[in-house]
Amino acid sequence: MKKLALLVLITFLSFSAHAANKPARRPATATAEAAQQSPQAAPSPLIATMGQELDREMPILSKATPPAYFISYILTSSDRSEVMGSNGALLSSSESRSRWLETQVRVGSYDLDNTHKVGNSTQRDGSFGTGVPVDDAPDVLRRAMWSETDKQFRAASEGLIKINTSKEVQVQTAEEHAPDFAREKPHTFYGPEVSVHPDRKPWEDKVRLYTKAFRASPQILNSIVTFSATGDNQYQVTSEGTRLQFGQVHYRLELFIQGKAPDGMDINRYYNFDWANPSDAPDDKTVLAEGQVLRKELEALVAAPLVEPYAGPALLTGRATAVFFHEVFGHRAEGFRQKDINEGQTFARKVNEPILPKFLSIYDDPTERKLGKDILIGYYPFDDEGTPSERVTLVDHGILKSFEMSRQPLTGFPISNGHGRRQIGAQPVSRQGNLIVQSSLTVTNDELRKKLVEEIKKQGKPFGLLIDDIAGGFTFTGRGQPQAFQVQPLVVYKVFADGKPDELVRGVDIVGTPLVSLTKIVATGDTMETFNGYCGAESGSVPVSASAPAILITEMEVQKKETSTDKPPILPPPAHDEKAVR
Amino acid sequence: MKLSRCNFFLAMFAVAALSCVSVAPAAAAPARHPATAVAPPAQAAAADSDHTLAAMQDELDRARTRLELTIPGTNEPARPYFIQYRVLDLDVHTIVAEFGALVSSTAGRNRIMSVDVRVGNNNLDSSNFITDEGFSGFLGSTGTIGIDRDYDSLRQDLWLATDQSFKAAVENYSKKQAFMSRLAKAPSIPDYSSADPTVSVEPLQNSDWTTRNWEQEARTVSAALRQFPQLYSSRVTYHLIYTTSYLLNTDGTKIRANRSLAAIEASLETESDDGMALHNYYAVYRHRPDQLPAADAVRKELEKAGEQLITLRVSPPAADYDGPVLFEAPAAGSLLAQMLGPSLSGARGPLAMQSAFDQLMDRLGGRSEWTGKLGTRVFPGTVSLVDDPTMAQFQGRDLLGTYAVDQEGVKAKKVQVVNNGLLLDFLMSRRPGPDLDHSNGHGRSAYLGDPKPMASNLFFSSSDGISPDEMKKKFMDECKQNGNKWCIIVRAMDNPVLGVREQEDLSDIVMGAASGAATGDRLPLLIYRVDVADGRESLIRGAHLTGLTLRAVRNIAAIGNDATPFDFMQSQQAGFSGTALAAFGSADSGVPSTVIAPSLLLNDVEVRGARGEPERLPLVPPPPIQ
Repeated sequence: MKKLALLVLITFLSFSAHAANKPARRPATATAEAAQQSPQAAPSPLIATMGQELDREMPILSKATPPAYFISYILTSSDRSEVMGSNGALLSSSESRSRWLETQVRVGSYDLDNTHKVGNSTQRDGSFGTGVPVDDAPDVLRRAMWSETDKQFRAASEGLIKINTSKEVQVQTAEEHAPDFAREKPHTFYGPEVSVHPDRKPWEDKVRLYTKAFRASPQILNSIVTFSATGDNQYQVTSEGTRLQFGQVHYRLELFIQGKAPDGMDINRYYNFDWANPSDAPDDKTVLAEGQVLRKELEALVAAPLVEPYAGPALLTGRATAVFFHEVFGHRAEGFRQKDINEGQTFARKVNEPILPKFLSIYDDPTERKLGKDILIGYYPFDDEGTPSERVTLVDHGILKSFEMSRQPLTGFPISNGHGRRQIGAQPVSRQGNLIVQSSLTVTNDELRKKLVEEIKKQGKPFGLLIDDIAGGFTFTGRGQPQAFQVQPLVVYKVFADGKPDELVRGVDIVGTPLVSLTKIVATGDTMETFNGYCGAESGSVPVSASAPAILITEMEVQKKETSTDKPPILPPPAHDEKAVR
Repeated sequence: MKLSRCNFFLAMFAVAALSCVSVAPAAAAPARHPATAVAPPAQAAAADSDHTLAAMQDELDRARTRLELTIPGTNEPARPYFIQYRVLDLDVHTIVAEFGALVSSTAGRNRIMSVDVRVGNNNLDSSNFITDEGFSGFLGSTGTIGIDRDYDSLRQDLWLATDQSFKAAVENYSKKQAFMSRLAKAPSIPDYSSADPTVSVEPLQNSDWTTRNWEQEARTVSAALRQFPQLYSSRVTYHLIYTTSYLLNTDGTKIRANRSLAAIEASLETESDDGMALHNYYAVYRHRPDQLPAADAVRKELEKAGEQLITLRVSPPAADYDGPVLFEAPAAGSLLAQMLGPSLSGARGPLAMQSAFDQLMDRLGGRSEWTGKLGTRVFPGTVSLVDDPTMAQFQGRDLLGTYAVDQEGVKAKKVQVVNNGLLLDFLMSRRPGPDLDHSNGHGRSAYLGDPKPMASNLFFSSSDGISPDEMKKKFMDECKQNGNKWCIIVRAMDNPVLGVREQEDLSDIVMGAASGAATGDRLPLLIYRVDVADGRESLIRGAHLTGLTLRAVRNIAAIGNDATPFDFMQSQQAGFSGTALAAFGSADSGVPSTVIAPSLLLNDVEVRGARGEPERLPLVPPPPIQ
């Protein structure tokens, strides 16, 4: 199953606030909370146990042929509670505790090891890891470590032999001459361990209440509300001497509703609240009010006309811009894409060249827990390769400066900047954390709208587009596909030059090529907005955020979205059917 | 409503099919009150707060009277001729432990639904047809739904599922007619049989989790394996499952039934010194959690399994062999379960637009070997084969496959499949077949899967069975006559679904073993070499049995009188394939069944010795277990 899921992920990159590809519309209304630096705490006995087994494995495997030169163990201990409701009833309510062990063995050397890519080969051997006891049972944990180490060592040895063989016959590109693994200093950090056990009973009543409210609308076919609370503790031990222990807590409430337009098009609305402190949970009033907004939007979209293909000026609100940059820019600034011959390598040879208007700078900063009053769920103290997270300047006043780097080096970028990330079970690659788009040329959001109207007039267009919400789309970065992106705007208005009221339209897809569209940004708003979501790519799904002000683009191309041919239900909803027996 | 669906075309391939099975929530469990047929009247439902049947009834009535569409490309109106709702409440507790430590413990309630809407008529309807398309649309006819047993949310969910199922039925019906018009000779087997309605509403029962400390028991019993440091890994899983199932259809069938199942499944893994991967398993199934054996008894069984595996580790590899093989009682039951699986069913197969489907069925051994053979001899003339879901016990011991009403709402019936060696009858669901039309109450499924004819309590017996001593003597005589220096006894057959820890390895085995099903490849677990001269027995490892199709048992050299029940979870894929893998599921993915069979002596069995180059041992020895 896992293997299948990963294969699917490799084919496209997507950014979504949850599994159904629905983005957040608005930042969570969490109250300000002092982002406290984690103090050092005592190491868990797990660290000692993992160290003991490592000390037994490394001396033997480092003398084998080919030799292991690096071994790491990550144990993730997770508490997870989840309460789901649908259509006024409880769907499920569960609490689980689990521990997952991931083992990495690298054979060869830092310069050339079993992860080396040769031509089109994609090496993916070995284990996704294994569940280990939630009881503290050192000898049982060590047995699992031993068995996984053996499995990974075998896979790595075979991998390196294959690589050495095919290197003889394949042409190497310049990018491929960079070493396979960056040398990094070891780190020791013992943060406090977290544990999360919320009282699920009140949440069971809440999800019933929230989803029952949606039944009042005959246009809402289905509703799902999910509350989740996760407490993860990560323990890392490596043969380089790294010893890490840190915990993270995340609470989330997601609202999701589904409807259908008369022509069969699926209309979905989604909103999520994220918080890290139990006291920051949204109250019923806030959630129900947000539910009403979603309901109104869904009802309006069901009745809205379809858009025709169009190219012209467009204004993207802050959260829509954030998703746009995540897709169009963020993924292409992931270091490993500059190395892989299968990748388009859009930016590989553009370092120190202008790629954006001068007033735009872009950072990726996983060290921040908050931006304004919004939490940033792409925060982490250390990445999944044990490297401390770092703020990286990707673009400085329009000039491309750097990439998000894992420990997979690039020519000119020999070390990691703490962006090696993965979903549990996958190999880390360079990924985004908190992407932040900053502008030095801002106007108020009202003025930005005026500029949109001016631009419409200047270009002699009948209308422009106001894009208020974007779902994660597909960004193809591989060479096999065109270097185009497709993001799905969910809430789009036509804005008319003559002052007619804005008109909601549906069925819009943005199309175009990334480099061109980025250069057509002419102005930005002055208010940062944040999108928190989960981003799926080669190393699985990881929590990320993107923050940006609103932007004005002089030319954006849209096309009609692919639609479901499934017609709306034949009978009215039972609760809204006068003829129905109850 | 939350969707959970397996793409059909994925399910066509055995590997993916297993993956699909493993994500399903829990098992269809056996009848709690076995043979008690029809229980309290429908009014009992009013006494509790369960609005499930009321919501099902009201939505069913609305759909039956008001759903209508025009068949694509025609002006012909299409309306449902049959609608069936199934809802399953699952309350499941799963506990995993290894070497005395708890690995996971999960508990939770779930409810799933499945809606079947049919267009056409019994002779030709929208079912039994595999189109060239996958699923379209975002809300389907199955899914996870609210667990409150309330009225409103269930009607909402059923409304959408019914709409989706009806639309799919109209489209399928139209495509099927078009496809059939292209065939030289359209198949004449009907699609669905009529059945008498059953009304049986049991009082609602609550799950009882209080009796024992299951987590502590799992720790305690798994700790027994700490005494075997040579084990690479081990895992003990407790499955405790309570279900309430609901069925309502336009024939007037109305059912609410409580069931439960409890199981302990354990796997043990190691490697021989020459690098051959070896495993053993232990499994016990009961109707209710409180009937599971106590920790002490389980510890003893696990110790026995551990000792067997340690002995197997140092036993010699098997050599190739042709000749007599004695299958002792529980192993014979397991072998019969694997061999008979696909052939007991008298149901028709689906029409498929792509011929790949047919080829796949053949290759995976999913074809019945008995189709069209009614009245002919399939076993020796003394043999009787009976499937009886109405029997609750055998020799004072509960049978696992007992139920009163099947998953299509048809009353369970005893079926005499073979008498005096002659094939007389098949197991039937409401899906007719080439030889028989009507259900005999054997439509079974795990969860809310498509009900297929499957065995329940299957009795294989002979009118002149002989004692185990006589069997052994006859076996040794056969060996001598054959001129063998040594012969083979099989004491246990494998269940790789329980024995293999790694899903990835399992996939490989599925591909390997499933493709051998048509040629009768079977996997033994404990196989012994008997020295013909002095009768000494020694365990051997790495053997495969081959050529064991049903043809091989038309003649059986000797049959014992030591009938022994073999409990197992029958895989949903049984219609696909007769391998050990496809025959067996585990407690969270199978249909509970028992085979009652005596020892069997087969005169001419091909045993293939160990093959392939084993991998080297781990460079690092295992860490100590204190």
